[in-house]
Amino acid sequence: MNNYPASEKAFLGLNHAQVFVYVLMTVISILFLFITNAYLFRMNFQDWNPVPIPSLLWFNTICLVLASVGMAWAKSGAKKSDHQKTKVGLAIAGVFVVVFVSGQTWAWQELNASGYFLSSNPANTFFYLITALHAFHVLGGLVAWFVVTFKVFKGDAMMLQPESVGLLGAYWHYMLLVWGVLFAMLITT
Amino acid sequence: MDQNSATYEGQKMYDPKGWWDTYVFSQDHKVIALQYVCVALAIGLTGMFLSLLMRMQLGFPGLFESIDAGSYYQDVTMHGMIMVIYLLTALFLGGFGNYLIPLMLGCRDMAFPFVNMLSFWMYFLSVIILVASFFVESGPTGAGWTLYPPQSILEGTPGGDGAGIILMLASLAVFIIAFTMGGLNYITTVLQSRAKGMTLMRMPLIIWCIFLATFLGLLAFPALLVGAIMLIFDRVLETSFFMPEIFKGGEVLDYGGGSPVLFQHLFWFFGHPEVYIIALPAFGIISELISVHARKNIFGYNMMVWALIAIAGIAFIVWAHHMYVAGMNPYLGFFFATTTLIIAVPTAIKVYNWVLTLWNANIKMTVPMLYCLAFLVTFLNGGLTGLFLGNVAVDVPLSDTYFVVGHFHMVMAVSPVLALYGGLYHWYPSVTGRMLNDTLGKIHFWITFVGTYLIYFPMHYIGFLGVPRRYYSNEQYDFIPQSVADLNQFITVCALIVGLAQFILLYNFIVSLKKGAIAPKNPWGACTLEWQALESPPGHGNWGEQLPVVYRWPYEYGLPGATSDFVPQNVPDEKIT
Amino acid sequence: MAFVIVTAIIVIGTVLWNFVSPWWFSPLASNWGFLDATILISLVITGIAFVLISTFILYCVVKFQYREGHKAEYEPENAALELKLTIITTIGVIALLAPGLYAWKLYVELPTDALEVEGVGQQWVWSYRFPGEDGVYGNTSGRLFSSKNTFGLDPDDPYGQDDILIRGGEVHLPINNKVVFQLRSKDVLHDFYVPQFRAKMDLVPGQQSNLWFEPTVLGTYEVACAEYCGTGHYAMRGVVVVETEEDFKNWLAEQPTFAETMNEGANGEQIVQTLGCVACHSIDGSDGIGPTWKDTYGTNRALSSGQTVVVDDEYIKTSIVNPMSQIAKGYAPVMPAYATLSEEELTAITDYIKTLSE
Repeated sequence: MNNYPASEKAFLGLNHAQVFVYVLMTVISILFLFITNAYLFRMNFQDWNPVPIPSLLWFNTICLVLASVGMAWAKSGAKKSDHQKTKVGLAIAGVFVVVFVSGQTWAWQELNASGYFLSSNPANTFFYLITALHAFHVLGGLVAWFVVTFKVFKGDAMMLQPESVGLLGAYWHYMLLVWGVLFAMLITT
Repeated sequence: MDQNSATYEGQKMYDPKGWWDTYVFSQDHKVIALQYVCVALAIGLTGMFLSLLMRMQLGFPGLFESIDAGSYYQDVTMHGMIMVIYLLTALFLGGFGNYLIPLMLGCRDMAFPFVNMLSFWMYFLSVIILVASFFVESGPTGAGWTLYPPQSILEGTPGGDGAGIILMLASLAVFIIAFTMGGLNYITTVLQSRAKGMTLMRMPLIIWCIFLATFLGLLAFPALLVGAIMLIFDRVLETSFFMPEIFKGGEVLDYGGGSPVLFQHLFWFFGHPEVYIIALPAFGIISELISVHARKNIFGYNMMVWALIAIAGIAFIVWAHHMYVAGMNPYLGFFFATTTLIIAVPTAIKVYNWVLTLWNANIKMTVPMLYCLAFLVTFLNGGLTGLFLGNVAVDVPLSDTYFVVGHFHMVMAVSPVLALYGGLYHWYPSVTGRMLNDTLGKIHFWITFVGTYLIYFPMHYIGFLGVPRRYYSNEQYDFIPQSVADLNQFITVCALIVGLAQFILLYNFIVSLKKGAIAPKNPWGACTLEWQALESPPGHGNWGEQLPVVYRWPYEYGLPGATSDFVPQNVPDEKIT
Repeated sequence: MAFVIVTAIIVIGTVLWNFVSPWWFSPLASNWGFLDATILISLVITGIAFVLISTFILYCVVKFQYREGHKAEYEPENAALELKLTIITTIGVIALLAPGLYAWKLYVELPTDALEVEGVGQQWVWSYRFPGEDGVYGNTSGRLFSSKNTFGLDPDDPYGQDDILIRGGEVHLPINNKVVFQLRSKDVLHDFYVPQFRAKMDLVPGQQSNLWFEPTVLGTYEVACAEYCGTGHYAMRGVVVVETEEDFKNWLAEQPTFAETMNEGANGEQIVQTLGCVACHSIDGSDGIGPTWKDTYGTNRALSSGQTVVVDDEYIKTSIVNPMSQIAKGYAPVMPAYATLSEEELTAITDYIKTLSE
C-alpha cells in the first residue's frame, strides 16, 4: 500500500516500511532501556537475591541465533529470486522462534517449580518481567512473519520484495541483539 | 475519473467496497480523522460532566448527597485522565494530525493507511475499557490522574482494591499501542511522502509541531508503559516494584522493598513531554491561524522551527520539577529548576514571534482570529505562572495548592482548547464544504474566553493562601476563610455557564452541516496545500490525477509585487497574479 | 474593538487584583519569609512581561485592522530583533532563577543545631516522636508495627525506651528554635504542610525525608496534608502549637515515653487516636466520612442492606474487624478492616465509644 509521490527523495534512501520499522525499533529500545534502568536501580537494595539462570536459556539463545541465520538465508534467497531458498529460510526462522518462545516458558516453569516465585523476590519478578516482555515482542515479529511467509508460499512472487524479507530479518536480528544485552545483564548481575 | 478506485502513479489506492469499508473501517485519513474527533469529543464531554460534578461539591457542598468523598475522588481522577489523554492527545494528534498531514504535505494518504485504521480502532478500544471501569463494582479508580502508588492500588483509595485501577492501566496500555502505531505512521509520512518541492523547511509549522509532538510521544510513552506494567504487577501479582513495607488496617502487608518515588520518576518522564505533546499542536494551530487571518507571514519561521526543536529536546530533562517535594534527593532540585527555566526561553521566542506577526499586519477579526488572540493572552498568563512553580524554592509553598490547579488548567485546558476551537472553525469549511455560523461562533467564543479566565485566575490566589488541591471539603480548616467558600460558589456558577456554552458549538457544528453557508473553495485565502485540493472537501485521493508541486514556503502573504495578498504554495513564480 | 476593550479590562483587572485580592499569603509564622520574597519577585517580573506583551497585542489589533486593498508588510524575519528579545528573556529568567536557587540552598541544608522531631504519617492522622533524654531515636522496623506499638519501635533497643511518643495528632514546638522534622510514613504518601510556616515535604513509606523551619510567632496552626492519600486526605488535619520554651518543656514532660506506653493497659481513647479512627468518625457529633460516635451507642442504625440493627457491643466489634459486612446507610464503603486487633483492644474501643453516649 505505497504512496510514493511523483519524484521521491526518500529520507536517507530508506523506503516507507524501513522508516516505520526502524523508528519502531527505537521506541522498543527505549522501553527496554527503562526496564533495565529500573533493574539496575533495584539491584542495589539489600533484599535482592539473584536468580540462578536456568541452563535452558543457553539453548534458547542458540535457537534465536539459528532463527536469525534462517532469516539471513531467506533474504539472500529473495534477492536472487531463489524462491526455494527463501521458503526454507523463512521456515527455519519461524520454527526456531517458536522453539525459543516455548523454551522460555519452559524455563519459567522450571524456575517456578524450584521455588523462585514471581512475587517472593524482586530479582525473580524482574527476571520474569524482562524475559516476558522480550518474548512478547518476539511474538509480535512472528505475526509479521506469518504475513510475509503466507505471501511467499502462496507463490505471489510479484508481491515478494527483497526489502520486505530483509526488513523482517532486520527485526529478527534486532530481537536477538536485545536478547543478547538482556541475557548478558541477567547472567552478570 | 472514479475517485474511489483510482490508480495513481502505478500504485493502487485503497478501494473501499461498501458502507463498512467507506465509513467504519475506512483507511482514508480524512475519515479516520473525523472518527478520532467524534470519539474524543464524546469522551471529552463526559470529562467535562465529571468536572461539573466536582464543582457542585466544591461550590455547593452537601447539595448532592450522592457525591461523597469516594465518588468525588473518582470524578477528579477520571476527569483528569480523560481530558489529558483521551481528549486532548487523541484530538490534536489523531484528529488534526490525521486530517492535515497528508493534505498539507501534498500526498494522497498516510504511508500506511491500514495501520492508520487499526490505530483508530485501538484508541476506540482503549476508550471502551476506560468507560468499563465506571461499571465495575468498586467503580473507577480515584487515585488522582497521576495514579501514585502505594495508594492507587490499596484499599482506602476508590478502585484501589477493585477492578477500577486494573482497567485504567489496561486502557492506558492499549492507548499507548494505538499511539505508537499512529505515531510511526506520521513520522514515516512526514519523512517520506512530501510533495515535490516540499522541503522540510517549507512545511507548514503545524506539521512541524505535530511531527515533533509525535516524536516526543514515541519516546515518552514507553516510560508510562513500563510504569503501568509494573504497577499492574504490584496490584495483581503482589510484587513490590513500588511497594515498600506498609502497615495498614492494623497489619503489616505482604509487600516490601519497593520505591514509590521510582513510579513518580517513570510517570513524570512521560508526564512532562505529554504536556508538550498537547501544547505543540496547539502552537501549530495558532501559527497557521494567525498568519492566515492577519494576512501576514509568520514572523521568523526558521527560529520558530528551531525553538520547537529546542522545546522538544529540553522537554525530556525537566520532569522532576513535578517532584521537588516528593522526597527525592534534594540536590536534584537545582538541576531541574535550571532546565525548567531554560525551556522558558524558546517558548517565549515563539510567543514573541506570534505577536510580531501582528505588527504591520492586516488583521481580520474573524472567529479564528479571536481565538488566536485569546490564546496568546491566556497562554502568556499560564506560562508565566509556570515560572513560579518551576523555580524550585518558590514551588515549596505553592506545590499541591490551588496555584498549581490554576496554572495547569490555564496552560492545558484554557489555551490549547481555545486553539482547538479556533482550528475547528478554521478547518470546518475544508472538511464539510460549509461555513460555521459566525454569530453563534462569537457568542461561544466570548462565554468560553471570559468564563474560563474567571474560573481559573482566582485559583492562583487561594493557592497563595495555602488551600490544598484534591480536597473534598475545606470546612474543617480555620486558616481557610468563608470567602473561599464564596469564591468556590462563584467559580461553580461560571463553570456551569461555560459548560452549557459548549453546546452552542456542538449545535453550530451539527446544524451548519446542512444549513451553513456553502463555503467557497479557499474561504480564508490560505496558502497551504489543504485548501488547494481539486475539490473542497477533498475527495478520496485528495489531488485528482496530478500531485501538487511546491514552489514556495507556506506563508507567502502580502508578497510585494503581487496583486493578490496571498500566493498558495503550489503556484509557480510565472503564474503569480 | 470589543476584543480590545474586554481584554484590556482583563489585563488591568489581573494587575489590580494583586492589590485588592482578599486571598493572599497566610500570615507568616516562620523564618521562611525569603520564600515570600521570591514569590513577590516572580510576580513583579512576570507581571511586567504580561502587561507589556498584552499591551503590544492590543495595540497591534487596534492599529493594524484589515483594510481592503491594503497589504501587510512582508518581513519573514529579523534576526537582530530575535537575538535582542532572546537576551532580554534570558536576563529575566536569570533574575528569577538566582534568588530561587539561593533560597533552595538554604532550604536543603539542614541546620545541625536544631531540635529534632520525627513526623509520622498514616491514613489519616499525624503522630510524632521526640528522641528523649538520650537524644537518640530508637530503631524502628516495619515488622514490629502493631496496634499497641504503632511506631514500630524495637523494644530491645535501649535508645528507644525514652523516646517520647505524641499520639493524637497535636504537637507542640518551642518558639524561636530551629526544628528539623524527619518524616516517614507507615502506609502511603502524605505531605506535611503548615501554610503559615511555608515549608512542606512529602512523607514516603520506606524512606525518610527531611524538612526544617523556625517558628517565630506564638499560636496554634493547622497541618493540612498536601499529597493525596486516599478518601480521607482532606480530613487529615493536624495541629501544631507554638509556645514558649518553658511551656514546651512542661508539655513534653507530660507525654508518655515508649517504655510507659508498653506498660499501658488497652486504652480505648489512645487506640482510636493512634489507629486514625477519629479521622473519619468524629467524637463531637459532626458528620464525616464515617458515622459519628457521639450519642450513638444503643441507638438504631439503618444499614445499606435495608436492615436496621442496634448499635451494641457486637455491632461495634464486627464493624471494626469486618466493616464491609454491614455498611451504614448513606456512607461510602471505604473503611479498612482492622482484623488483627485483640479482644482486649476491641473491648477497650467499645467501652470508649460507650462513654461518648453518656
